[in-house]
Amino acid sequence: MDFYILAQQLVNGITLGSIYGLIAVGYTMVYGVIRMINFAHGDVYMVSAYVAAITLAVLHSFGVDSVPFAIISVLVVTCFITGVYGWTIERVAYRPLRGSTKLAPLISAIGISLMLQSYVQVAQGARDQGVPVLVSGALRLGTDKDFAQITYMQLVILVASFVAMAILTYLISYTTLGRQCRATQQNRHISAVLGVNTDRIISSVFVIGAATAAVGGVLVTFNYGSFNFFIGFVMGIKAFTAAVLGGIGSLPGAILGGLVLGLTEALFAGYVSTDYKDVFAFALLIVILFFRPYGLLGRPEIQKV
Amino acid sequence: MDNAKIPAKLLKEAVFTFVLSLIVFGPISGLVLTGFTVENKLARPLIIASVVTIGRVLFTLFLETSLGRRLIARMAGTAGSGVTVESGNERFPYAAVAIAFAVGLAFPLMADEYWLGVAILALIYVLLGLGLNIVVGLAGLLDLGFVAFYAVGAYLLALGAQYLGLGFWGALALAPLIAAFCGMVLAFPVLRMHGDYLAIVTLGFGEIIRLVLNNWLDFTGGPNGAAVPAPTFLGLEFTRTARQGGTPFHEFFGISYSADYKFWFIYLVLFLVVAAVIYVVNRLKSMPIGRLWEALREDEIACRSLGVNHVATKLSAFMLGASTGGVAGVFFAVHQGFVNPTSFTFFESALILAIVVLGGLGSTLGVVMAALVLTILPEVLRDFAEYRVLVFGILMVVMMVWRPRGLVRIKRPAFFPSSAPAAVPALAAAEAAQ
Amino acid sequence: MKSIGKFLAATSLAGSLLAASSAFSAETIKIGVAGPMTGANATFGEQVWTGASAYVNEVNAAGGIDGKQIELVKGDDACEPKQAVAVANRFVDQDKVKAVVGHFCSSSTIPASEIYADAGILTVTPSSTNPIVTDRDLDTMFRTCGRDDQQAVVAGGFILDTLKLDKVALIHDKDTYGQGLVDALKKTLAERGVEPVLYEGLTRGERDFNALVTKIKSSGATAVYFGGLIPEAGPLIRQIHEQGLAVKFVSGDALAQTEIVSAAGGPQFLKDVYYSSAADPKQDPDTAEAQEALKKANIAPDNYTLFGYASAQTIVAALKGSNNGETEAQVDWLRNNAVKTAVGNLAWNEKGDVKDFKFVFYSFDDKGAPVAAN
Repeated sequence: MDFYILAQQLVNGITLGSIYGLIAVGYTMVYGVIRMINFAHGDVYMVSAYVAAITLAVLHSFGVDSVPFAIISVLVVTCFITGVYGWTIERVAYRPLRGSTKLAPLISAIGISLMLQSYVQVAQGARDQGVPVLVSGALRLGTDKDFAQITYMQLVILVASFVAMAILTYLISYTTLGRQCRATQQNRHISAVLGVNTDRIISSVFVIGAATAAVGGVLVTFNYGSFNFFIGFVMGIKAFTAAVLGGIGSLPGAILGGLVLGLTEALFAGYVSTDYKDVFAFALLIVILFFRPYGLLGRPEIQKV
Repeated sequence: MDNAKIPAKLLKEAVFTFVLSLIVFGPISGLVLTGFTVENKLARPLIIASVVTIGRVLFTLFLETSLGRRLIARMAGTAGSGVTVESGNERFPYAAVAIAFAVGLAFPLMADEYWLGVAILALIYVLLGLGLNIVVGLAGLLDLGFVAFYAVGAYLLALGAQYLGLGFWGALALAPLIAAFCGMVLAFPVLRMHGDYLAIVTLGFGEIIRLVLNNWLDFTGGPNGAAVPAPTFLGLEFTRTARQGGTPFHEFFGISYSADYKFWFIYLVLFLVVAAVIYVVNRLKSMPIGRLWEALREDEIACRSLGVNHVATKLSAFMLGASTGGVAGVFFAVHQGFVNPTSFTFFESALILAIVVLGGLGSTLGVVMAALVLTILPEVLRDFAEYRVLVFGILMVVMMVWRPRGLVRIKRPAFFPSSAPAAVPALAAAEAAQ
Repeated sequence: MKSIGKFLAATSLAGSLLAASSAFSAETIKIGVAGPMTGANATFGEQVWTGASAYVNEVNAAGGIDGKQIELVKGDDACEPKQAVAVANRFVDQDKVKAVVGHFCSSSTIPASEIYADAGILTVTPSSTNPIVTDRDLDTMFRTCGRDDQQAVVAGGFILDTLKLDKVALIHDKDTYGQGLVDALKKTLAERGVEPVLYEGLTRGERDFNALVTKIKSSGATAVYFGGLIPEAGPLIRQIHEQGLAVKFVSGDALAQTEIVSAAGGPQFLKDVYYSSAADPKQDPDTAEAQEALKKANIAPDNYTLFGYASAQTIVAALKGSNNGETEAQVDWLRNNAVKTAVGNLAWNEKGDVKDFKFVFYSFDDKGAPVAAN
């Protein structure tokens, strides 16, 4: 009995953690390139949930029944539209503030976050929305009464986040775009001198970050089935925490941070108290940062005198 | 730009904007979810996209006019430069300050209860902004959990009254001390961290305080909150009937009861406290400690090389900021008559930070202005009904883009050796050359 | 093209309505409706507004009160105490309202009602179930909803006697409504000698409750009582089913909304889900009239729509009953008379609480429509 409960909590934690990780990627990439906390990221994720549900409903009305086709086309459409959101937000609210104080884009990000929430509420209504169940059933381990299970949807989440991370890692490590990203991350001015179009790179980072959040948004929508215009807030804070926990600016750090946070929450909620799980998560974050001031995988910025 | 190219450029821009806004607005406002199906409202994104495109075209045309060009030139001229230094010829605007003070004191006589309530809230945010300005604006420590100290002050009065019989004045005296102590507790682990790591730790601290207030049902009342007694003045109470064993204010003076007296009283005390805090902060800025904060913000390594005690400096900024937040909390609690954790969410911290940044980091006048703008604006926007938050968000972005360095650009005081007045023009020339 | 035509028609209609209302504005009776029109709870504020305006439209169509039309004023407090106070002051000073429907959250109603009481304005909250709301002896404060303790007694009886289950897991959302309900139920169960096997609070705004569901499973509970709202109840119900738990899910009147079906992921997840709510129109003839009117206006009978409607009915009845008189006359009238509302025949005690609020339990049929459970 206890073994299965533990196994079940691990499954719960890892699923939740990989979603946190996917959203955290957006924070970490944007931070890496322009040293800015993009507070509107959680709401971009919220928008992607709506886009996913709308796309699914439109596909249904055209009589598309194949589930894998539906999932993949919803993913593609949502990533595209959410990516455009990322691009537009950067262009409208952050680019004019480049070269200003570091905190100015932070405030316009808060403005954008309010705008997105309110826009979706006005356009779609405040009520909770849902999507029908696409994938049901689960892999079960154990007897009829005592078992641990992983649903097929949870498997899809794990596979999809793994694939998304693999694509991202390839993009950053082996392509010209990735090299330019990393160069911009190191030093924006020198990269510009060397012929990198840094404005374009920053735009691409926003697009990639938003598209990754969209993958998270689609998976969450299909897995939990319901959402409203306010889901971006809690998810945004959690994913930001995960990004910092792993070391903000580090791509593997975001994933690790997400997993640590997800597992911590699941295990603490399961074995101690649900009420205080968030308190514990933040306390753990403070303790980790106390001993590793740059997060788990973050590299300290070496300051030379 | 070559005038002949304008129509072609405009057309390209218009088509691009139109397509982009169709993609952005299309699904969310064009297809409304009802149950598991969508309702077709595709006319809406078409209208929105047309409006956006027309706006964009008009804006581009405006920038081509001579006025627009001057505007661009001005923005380009000021965006890059950071700080301006006073020339030494500025006079302190005694008359303006005196008038502002008098108008502020007389405000309750002019306003009705609604605007008085808004003014009290605005002054509370001025106080919060001033406190956070010490931490973020002067010392350069990004604090996203400032609301924690605000909560400490508010709950000190609520719980102190409930368990210890603490009154308004007692809480007002104790709040800065207790909030400063909390600031110190937070500051110790935080001082090791840099920049944005500090931001998340303070955010975490703010959330922990709120969650504990919410979860610790037996002590704080949890989500049900706690009642706060009305204030007293020399033992006179501002309620209809005496609830704390004193005499009601109106009975003592033999006048008829009105709820306004309580708000007048809160407003006047708050106004005097804000004036005092503004005075203190301005003095601090030109004192050694204030100079150390700013120096540490600009270059920590240089300061430490010069033997500056960075721990004590940062700690003092945190504690002073926190104590101001605590005082604001007491006023909030007494104005509301009731506190519960929903008033102390992360969004409040973000709003206070917005006040500081929008005001112009480090500028006292800017903080006051931004606090007034950001608290009065949502009230003015009430006529927009459900579009209120949307308009507020748009205005926040617009204000930031319009004034990236804040409403008021700070001027650093310059010090000139009194024996060498010739240095003044030299400095001014150096500034102009920048 | 068709939808553009509709849009134009709608705008012109709205324009003419606006013109009509301004023509009457000289002699209207203003009633404020305060609640969260933005923010996390906006959906409930919308419902209260819909319900209240549906009834007011009926009254206006029938000639208003003494020939005077009623005008509703919307006040958005986002469920934040500080905005609630601002809204209350605005209602009193700027809009000069005669009565107020609201506020929604107890944490808004409590500070705002002090201002209404000082100004002598009748206040009827559709939803603030917290005991403090009426326990402060404010003369002008009434509510059309039950108190937490009233609903909990019914729920305790339902779980122990009707479902015959005694291993109860109590889950709340750490908010005024949910926690109040669950704490009251805990007390009720304790009086019957039953200790809950689990007592936990979840975080509002989250979607993943799998860890909590696994914990419920390991606790061996046979019934789950959830005090909270739809956004959390939906995923919780779905995850309980997905993890294969054989438990009955019982909840409060917040579940009485059509959107529970889509929030839970479909009607197949609503098996073994029960909730208590105001009496069914088929059983309670007092509410039939209101339900009929809502159906005619094509408005979904969601929980807070009904309570908003009932609150407006209460205020209008008090105004009519006191011949549009002073506040004291309205208060006196309400204390001595009963009103037939959308949520039953209501009568009030000295405090402003409803006497003997009737709760009935519902479950769902195959299509997700509510059916009476007892």
